[in-house]
Amino acid sequence: MLAFICRRIALGFMVLTLATASLYVLVQLAPGDPASAMLGPRASPRIKAEFREKLGLDRPMPVQIVNYLIAVGQGDLGIDLKTKKPVVETIAAHAPHTIALVGAALLLATGLGIPLGAAAAVRRNSWFDRAIGLISVSLISIPPVVIAICGMLLFSAHLGWLPAIGAGEGFRDNILHLLMPAFAVGIGWVGYIARLVRASMIEVLGANYIRNAKSFGLTERMVTYRYALRASLSPTIAVLGVGVGVMLGSAAFAEIVFARPGIGKMMHDAVTLRNYPVTLGAVLCATALLVAATTLADILNALLDPRFKENRD
Amino acid sequence: MSASRIGFRVLLRDPMGLFGLVLAAVLILSALFAPLLASHDPAAIDVAVKLQPPSAAHWLGTDEIGRDTWSRVLYGGRVALAVALSATFLSVVFGGLLGLIAALGPRWLDQGLTLLFDTVRSYPVIILALAIGPIFGGGMVVLMGLLVATSVPYYGRIMRTSVIAEASSDYVEALRAMGMGRIRIALRHILPNVIGPILILASMDIPGFIMAEAGISFLGVGVKAPDTSWGMILDQGFRYIGHTPWLVIAGGAPLILATLGFTFLGEALRDAYDPRLKRRG
Amino acid sequence: MGTPLLEVVNLGVKYGPLHAVNHVSFTLEPGRILGIVGESGSGKSTLLWALTRLVPEAAALNSGEVWFDGEDLLRLPPDKLRALRGGRISYVSQDPMTSLAPGLTIGQQMTDVLHREPWPAREKWARAVDALDRVSLPDPEARMRMYPHELSGGQRQRVSIAMALMLKPDLVLADEPTTALDPTLEVEILALLRRLQGETGAAVIFVTHHLGVVHSLCDEVLVMKDGEIREAGPVAKVFAQPQDDYTRRLFRCDPARITNATRRLPTMADAEVERPEPVTGPAGRVKLEGLPVLAFDDVSVTYRRRALLPQALGGRSEDIVAVRQVSFDIRRGETLALIGESGSGKTTIARSILGLAQPGSGSIRLNGRELLGQDRAGWTATRAKVAMMFQDAGGSLSPRMTIARQVVEPLIVHGRPAEATRARALELLAMAGLDARFADRYPHELSGGQARRAGVARALALSPELIVADEPTAGLDVSVQGEVINLLKGLQETLGVAILLITHNMAIIRHTADRAVVLLKGQVMETGPTVALFAGAEQPYTRSLIAAAVHDLPEPEGP
Repeated sequence: MLAFICRRIALGFMVLTLATASLYVLVQLAPGDPASAMLGPRASPRIKAEFREKLGLDRPMPVQIVNYLIAVGQGDLGIDLKTKKPVVETIAAHAPHTIALVGAALLLATGLGIPLGAAAAVRRNSWFDRAIGLISVSLISIPPVVIAICGMLLFSAHLGWLPAIGAGEGFRDNILHLLMPAFAVGIGWVGYIARLVRASMIEVLGANYIRNAKSFGLTERMVTYRYALRASLSPTIAVLGVGVGVMLGSAAFAEIVFARPGIGKMMHDAVTLRNYPVTLGAVLCATALLVAATTLADILNALLDPRFKENRD
Repeated sequence: MSASRIGFRVLLRDPMGLFGLVLAAVLILSALFAPLLASHDPAAIDVAVKLQPPSAAHWLGTDEIGRDTWSRVLYGGRVALAVALSATFLSVVFGGLLGLIAALGPRWLDQGLTLLFDTVRSYPVIILALAIGPIFGGGMVVLMGLLVATSVPYYGRIMRTSVIAEASSDYVEALRAMGMGRIRIALRHILPNVIGPILILASMDIPGFIMAEAGISFLGVGVKAPDTSWGMILDQGFRYIGHTPWLVIAGGAPLILATLGFTFLGEALRDAYDPRLKRRG
Repeated sequence: MGTPLLEVVNLGVKYGPLHAVNHVSFTLEPGRILGIVGESGSGKSTLLWALTRLVPEAAALNSGEVWFDGEDLLRLPPDKLRALRGGRISYVSQDPMTSLAPGLTIGQQMTDVLHREPWPAREKWARAVDALDRVSLPDPEARMRMYPHELSGGQRQRVSIAMALMLKPDLVLADEPTTALDPTLEVEILALLRRLQGETGAAVIFVTHHLGVVHSLCDEVLVMKDGEIREAGPVAKVFAQPQDDYTRRLFRCDPARITNATRRLPTMADAEVERPEPVTGPAGRVKLEGLPVLAFDDVSVTYRRRALLPQALGGRSEDIVAVRQVSFDIRRGETLALIGESGSGKTTIARSILGLAQPGSGSIRLNGRELLGQDRAGWTATRAKVAMMFQDAGGSLSPRMTIARQVVEPLIVHGRPAEATRARALELLAMAGLDARFADRYPHELSGGQARRAGVARALALSPELIVADEPTAGLDVSVQGEVINLLKGLQETLGVAILLITHNMAIIRHTADRAVVLLKGQVMETGPTVALFAGAEQPYTRSLIAAAVHDLPEPEGP
């Protein structure tokens, strides 16, 4: 097991490294000179000259890539053109808000989605099941950005129940400010997860070992949760791992609508100001988060079902 | 009766599927006939009538530089559909091709492609679009390129997994025992057997592309003027919410209806063609 | 004879309009063993699981009563029914590969059975270990911490039996517990069950399609067909003098019951009066002179299992010897049986004839021509002369093509598309006993026997000299086995084709094969004419295989 975890983390690092290198190469493909592409038209000639020297833009590409990777590895993502401070600082200030938002959305998705899906599977074809099915599919279909805007209009502007702007001060206030954005990002996933868990469980509930477990007198609860749900969670966890990428996107919309100081809003402002070092740094940060999420999902799956490790290679 | 025909009959009997089919049809038709249905040129500017509510002249009102919202919604639908359908098609074709090569080719190629898939999959799409879009100048082509590039790994992996799984079936063994070559088996037998589920998955991706396009355009790094997009209208609506609610409605409502319709349709398609229900109908 | 333990009255189970179980009534005394035999679709498994209402949602338990210890199980409130399960009534189910939950350890699943008991965790653990020990599972403590996929099929079945008996139930319901196992393992598990039944005194209902098992293990028997009981009574009486027509035919068709080798097996459709004709002397069609069709000379096949880590980090790759220096030959017109259980290497040998597995050493000659090391053209020529019939007949047919197209596919592959006409397809199907209406059907629309015949038709497409038949009777009901075997033998008589029969079913071999090669773990144990082997084999392994197939059956008295 330990060997698998180490291998999987190593793979994660390799993917992250490749992704970073690819990003660098991709940006180089843009029209214009590379320094402008990476730094944007706002950068002063002095900054561009420094950049050229540090990365050695006259050297062959593989050398440039290595230089870039070393720089990133050391935490040097360039200089924020607006604040004139290191990009890392800007990102570090904004990232926690996004992580909190995505975390809350995940909590919502699993906290509501998994029990609803399990309940629907156990009561298959009942009115409950059909209702959940309809609601789930409807939730999946509404774009988060629309939910965010409508939520903001209804609950903040019109009813005044929840705050509209920012992330709040202090723990309780933070939670209040987190509610609607998390809802906007996560509610669609509630439907998706419910559908997924329902489908997995229906398949598992038809398995021989479920009937056997019942024949030994195990309670419905034990059979449903300890035996059936456990086996059904694997695809759900995998989907959630990858889903963090989509959630990061939805989080960006929510942050912009609710003016939450997270990575998404930071990026949006940076784009308007042509503050490219920040936007590129943000991509790297988001990518790292996604790689971490998928790695964690795989490890979790291996812990839940030991057969998972053997299928990976 | 073949599986396809049984599936189609089941689909027509499912109320959700029928509803989705109708919505999707409405969208497609309105997109096709946009020039006929539009009342104005969607790019025509007339500052004098800016931010007006719906009226006889402008059925959904106007935006902040006086362009007719109804026409923009229609043409926005064109963009949404064009992007979603092309992106789906291209992703399936390129992804499927790469997945096939990965499954059939030498091991080193397979490992390389899988690593490539994993790498590209690790970029969150929207965030990537925010960064890369402006660098490459934005616009519909860049948007499509991003959407396709980040979806190719998904279909590549699915194709690869499906082909490898089929390749270990008994009937493939039987064909090899007969003397059939591997490539021929793949194209003549394996591919027809795996393509069905992949197409169903693709149909379920269409709403995702519609939402992605709208979202990226909302952020301002997607579709550019003179093209319109529901996302753009939504963005304008959000910025001018104090003046009129109609832009938000005009951008949001078609978006919701389109994604709802295609999602319902996709789910119903999946249920109808479930291989376990082969004997229904 | 006191009150019966179990009394079933007029039980009915319906799936929509279909009666899976219809008007079934019987009683069972404490400590007695009842066997329920029937073919697939007879409803025997459905009946067993319906006794405690463990049927799928689609099924309706719409009529009858099941009396157990004074209570009607069909009308008991769910929690009282659950209280009985595991404690007083328990099940042993069929497929060891899917009968245990994959994500939980053996120990967790076994202690879960004890969840109602008030004992502390350590006590439950100890009892579980004890139960594993009583089913002769080696190193039970270690096994408790393992996951099901780390155990072999036989070991998993022992675990299932241990779980069923842990709480000393009064009634054990066994649903084909040995059907999925190899013959020698089957004998072990049956012996185990017999011993445990003696020790615990539990009543057992044993569902199976294997007549020999019922005869050696059970006190009473029920014969079922289409959801109804055709015959019931003490085993000795029913087997010696079956009253019901279906039962008589069923017994007659069982190849294991026919102790003298015959040329043609009886089938269900045959007229009653016909007695199987015994074989005297070697078959005329076998050509003893000239080159053998196929000659295996000292062939070895090794599989290398690659390590997950590269060598530098300590990864070791394993070499698994699947086939070890095997030699045999097949004469023209002869049927040679390759006998072995799983892991014996028989499938690898079959695949190497067709180039699907690569032997590391030895020689394989087809009509004198060396097969190993030949180029593509050579293999193409080989595949025109050797045809393979696969074990999973339905699975070996491409799901989306019609039968007619697939039957002539070999002609297309071998560059003779002009011959791949519909007429030829119909001809081949007719030779295999399938009439024209099957031509446009898809594989999933065929029954097991029909799919098997389609496989035969495809194998005949290129007029081969050798047919390799991999377990042609596996998964088929006894009544259908005879049909497939008769078909193959008939084709052999008319076409003179040689047959390599791969199977572990000794009962079939007796009537089908001229000679046999016995394999164990990749090595040849014994070779010889079938008649000689059955008269008195030298190797104990061969003898145990024969004993496993033939369960001391009395000669049936005449009609």
